[in-house]
Amino acid sequence: MPAEARTPAAVETLTFEQALAELETIVSRLERGDVALAESIAIYERGEALKNRCAELLKEAEARVEKIRLSPGGKPAGIEKLDVE
Amino acid sequence: MATLLIEDPVFLTHRVPHGHPERPARLEAVSTALGEDRFGGLMRSNAPEAALDRILLAHDGHYVEEIQKELPESGIVQIEADSYLSPESYTVALRAAGAACHAVDEVIEGRATNAFVAARPPGHHAERDRPMGFCLFNNAAIAARHAQERHGASRVAIVDWDVHHGNGTQAIFWDDPSILYGSTHQMPLYPGTGAASETGAGNIFNAPLHEGDEGDEFRTAMAERILSAVGRFSPDLIIISAGFDAHWRDPLAGLNLKAEDFAWATKAVMDLADRYCGGRIVSLLEGGYDLTGLGESVAAHVSTLMAA
Repeated sequence: MPAEARTPAAVETLTFEQALAELETIVSRLERGDVALAESIAIYERGEALKNRCAELLKEAEARVEKIRLSPGGKPAGIEKLDVE
Repeated sequence: MATLLIEDPVFLTHRVPHGHPERPARLEAVSTALGEDRFGGLMRSNAPEAALDRILLAHDGHYVEEIQKELPESGIVQIEADSYLSPESYTVALRAAGAACHAVDEVIEGRATNAFVAARPPGHHAERDRPMGFCLFNNAAIAARHAQERHGASRVAIVDWDVHHGNGTQAIFWDDPSILYGSTHQMPLYPGTGAASETGAGNIFNAPLHEGDEGDEFRTAMAERILSAVGRFSPDLIIISAGFDAHWRDPLAGLNLKAEDFAWATKAVMDLADRYCGGRIVSLLEGGYDLTGLGESVAAHVSTLMAA
């Protein structure tokens, strides 16, 4: 495996599915107890960043649903991406 | 009477691989910090070896045999994700537990006001039958049991402010209402245990903190969720699992405590100990991996103990 393939992708480029899958891998490693104390800070930080990425993408998705539901006239007006803080 | 400091060059001989955070230099940093003139009033003692029956107060016999069996004749062997043995490690671990028991003897029998044990390897991750997270024998658990078995203490409280949760101590005393275990720690973080919902037999008190939390959050959690419980418990002795890796400089965690926060916590535990158990405190070094942060935090902790 080339070295760059082992470098974790920047969290902000991940899709929801990718971020969730990696987060699940981290959680299952933690549950199995095979994370060393000496490296735990790095893996927890990665997990926290992935969790935040998932939360951010969910929030964006919720805002799009909200936009459709609140369209005037009761008709779907298409999906318009909102700026979400 | 004075504060007792137990330190011993034997603790430098438990060796770990190059680059490992739980390294002998930690104790050199502690020794340098406590070598200043203002610590001239300490009573100093070396560490006696614990008899095997002391270790068995908190560990299974087959686990102790396993450690002995795995001891290398030379070099260093890995026995767990974070934990290693060098040829001297078993003896060193017996001396760390022995130092903790000796500190209990001296404090309970009134020859020392309180005590700090600067030993390694640390202990609070070690469970009854397995090493974990740099720890071989659970020194705090052994000391607590020793106080009960040898000195007739009814209730012992263990206050753990290491940044990692003391899963080993919690597991050993999970269903024992005669021992209170209270811990502040960063969560989520290694070892993954320590949620507030883990309460054992009503004797376990966990106050998890978040990454980035500072002295204010730590002090509130310690006072409201740990020390208030210790007061209701009315202990005969308080043992501190004194890790200093919640210091802002520490590389293994993300809390932002300063040396004066450890001085505050020390004083708060001393006030409780004065009220309930004649000031009897035995403090045992756990983690703390930044040498500057460790040195200044230990100095703040021990100088506060000396002001009893």
